[in-house]
Amino acid sequence: MFGLLKLIQSIIKTLHSAGTPGQVAAGMALGSALGLTPLMNVHNLVIISLLVLLNVSFGGGMLGWMLFVPVGFLLDPVFDKIGLSLLTAPSLTPLWTDWTNTPLLPYTNFNNTIVLGSFVGWLVLAVPIFFAARYGVARYRATIGERVQRSRWYKAVTASQVYNIYKMFRP
Amino acid sequence: MRIKIFRWKAIGPLLLLFLILILLVWVFAEPVARDTTEEAATQLLGTEVNVGKLDLIPRQASVDLRALQIADPFVLTRNLIEADEIRLKLNPAALAEKKLVIQRLTLSGMRFGTTRKKPARRPSGDGFAPRAYQAVEQWTKQFDVPVLSLTPIDTIRQLALNPTQLTTIREAQSLLTRTDSVRQGLEQGFQQLKIGPTVDSARALAQKLAATDPKRLGVDGTRQAIESVKETLKKIEDAKKQVEGLERNVRTTIQSLGQGVKLLDQARQKDFAFAKSLLKLPSFSAPEIGGALFGKVSIDRFKQAAYWAELAQQYMPPGLLPRPTPGPQRLRASGETIEFPKAKDFPQFLLQEGQLDFSIGGDSPIQGAYTATVEGLTSTPALYGRPARITAGRRAASSAIASIDVGAIIDHVAAQTHDSAHARLQGIALPSFDLPGLPLRLQPGTGSSSLTFSMRNAGAHLLGRWAVESKQVKWVADTTGRQLNELERLVVRVVSGLNDLQVVAELGGSMASPRFSVASNLDKAISQRLQAVVGEEVARAEKMVRAKVDSLVADKVEPVKRQVAAVQAQATGRVQAEKQRLDQVEKQLNAELQRLTRGLVPGLELPKIKL
Repeated sequence: MFGLLKLIQSIIKTLHSAGTPGQVAAGMALGSALGLTPLMNVHNLVIISLLVLLNVSFGGGMLGWMLFVPVGFLLDPVFDKIGLSLLTAPSLTPLWTDWTNTPLLPYTNFNNTIVLGSFVGWLVLAVPIFFAARYGVARYRATIGERVQRSRWYKAVTASQVYNIYKMFRP
Repeated sequence: MRIKIFRWKAIGPLLLLFLILILLVWVFAEPVARDTTEEAATQLLGTEVNVGKLDLIPRQASVDLRALQIADPFVLTRNLIEADEIRLKLNPAALAEKKLVIQRLTLSGMRFGTTRKKPARRPSGDGFAPRAYQAVEQWTKQFDVPVLSLTPIDTIRQLALNPTQLTTIREAQSLLTRTDSVRQGLEQGFQQLKIGPTVDSARALAQKLAATDPKRLGVDGTRQAIESVKETLKKIEDAKKQVEGLERNVRTTIQSLGQGVKLLDQARQKDFAFAKSLLKLPSFSAPEIGGALFGKVSIDRFKQAAYWAELAQQYMPPGLLPRPTPGPQRLRASGETIEFPKAKDFPQFLLQEGQLDFSIGGDSPIQGAYTATVEGLTSTPALYGRPARITAGRRAASSAIASIDVGAIIDHVAAQTHDSAHARLQGIALPSFDLPGLPLRLQPGTGSSSLTFSMRNAGAHLLGRWAVESKQVKWVADTTGRQLNELERLVVRVVSGLNDLQVVAELGGSMASPRFSVASNLDKAISQRLQAVVGEEVARAEKMVRAKVDSLVADKVEPVKRQVAAVQAQATGRVQAEKQRLDQVEKQLNAELQRLTRGLVPGLELPKIKL
């Protein structure tokens, strides 16, 4: 329940933030990597660094992460197949062999079918996610955004204790 | 408005985040590494591995493990190895490639077979090691270890045999059905031959020519007659080929029926054995007694060797092809992690040199300092290029009274793999064990024991030998709970009188179909004594069993045998008769042909025409 409330608050906050639709969408596209790929991997440290360093919506990133966690779980069998086909492709074997024997690179776990498959899956999905999110945020703000902001429901959610705590840590 | 791409202000918080992460790693690395080591080693070896403490020494690229315990997968209350301290000196360059290359392993305070405070967990899960454990357990079940039966003869009940239990009767019925279908098949074959018209027309031609004078036929008439004869001879030749074809078929069928009859005899032997087993007659056969007494304990020794050899096959595969292994356990799917070995590079795991020092204390003749070495234990033997070697022995020169000599070579460098291990223990207190079927526990005392085990090409060829020899055997009778019968008392008396023990168990064949035999000096002694005491009675009982089985199967088997013999004789006779008919008429025609050709050119002898 707490998680759901947090998700709703995060969505609302992001949709009504000062960031442009492009910034929110870029944040979501980057954040989706955290949800689509197994979290405890080195590449996600890079993603978090990018979310922090690049002028994209951090909230959008967190929203992307939360939205794509269940998608990641659902797509695991597909990622496994993608990863397996890439790792067992004879033409790519020399590349993987070089990477496996290059210092530090093996710590990315690229030779795991789920890690590689989900990362490649994210790379492919990142651009559609970006455009879809940018269109969605822009449409929302142009149509129902203001009405939602004026609604009692919005006020109730944003006035909740959790939201207040959240606001305290807001950048 | 121009949007800035970077948030320079965020560098500070980001660095702080990394600092926190480094701090967390610093604080939790050792307990996490300890848990991971325990978990990974347990999964790898298929037996519980406990590490008391783990210290990371980054400056020396070393890891210190303390209070290591590796449980015996086959005896969960016992440790296979217990060590006070293990120091692993790692190769930093390999570590950068996420590879574990142990340049040097030193192990001190090593003890074997210590009792665990808490029994280990049974190997479970669907990893390779638990599967190998289950496979080896299953493998041992295929050995037919006889049970030593010492039921007194006077308790033999009347043998009640149900005919449907007997294999011979089932086999006889099946053979009868087969004989019927064979007979019908042969009958059809003879009918399809249709050589009657060929023989009749040939005979008619021969008779017609016999009544003709070649001189009156003229040249044309003679030529026509010769042509007719040649044509008919060709038909006869074709018919003979058909008969030969049928003859081959008959021969095969007769052979198969003969096999069926032999199987009936074998089935009868099985039925005798089955009926005998119902009476639980004591066996006098020395190999059977040996198997019953020492079969299980010998197989247990080979089972352990086979388990470790199976693990070596899995973890040390030959070749350099990419190889998948299950991915890490996590909330998300594990997937598969594929290794890509590269020639002239580090393997994923390599123990270059391991030095294991241990000592055996007390007053035993084997007390002293021992050393063991492990070399080239690797996940990719093809990269290391040499077989892995394990040796263990006394550091000082071994005494003539007592010694321990252990060695193993795991050669997976090429596709043709060869694992071999030997262990020779001399002058040590051998472990005691129960004798199945007897209320006795054998305490071999101080003696010698040796085990050699060799497995080639992933179990295609097996060779094993386990021998125990002792001259200080003690027997502990366990008669609590029940009264021994006369035969048991006899065997206990025979066995208790022996002070020495020699057991030799041998394993051969392959993992898929192993051969096993065991012999001991006890077998002969027990066999001879039993033979002398109850031999006559058992022989009478066996005679009764045979008579009973014979009476039940005779009226089912004999008619089948007669029918088989009749079909065999009938088929052979008919083939011979057809061949004779064809030979006879062919002979007549050839004679007429010679007569015709003599008439064509008088005085000229033509050779017999062969088509």
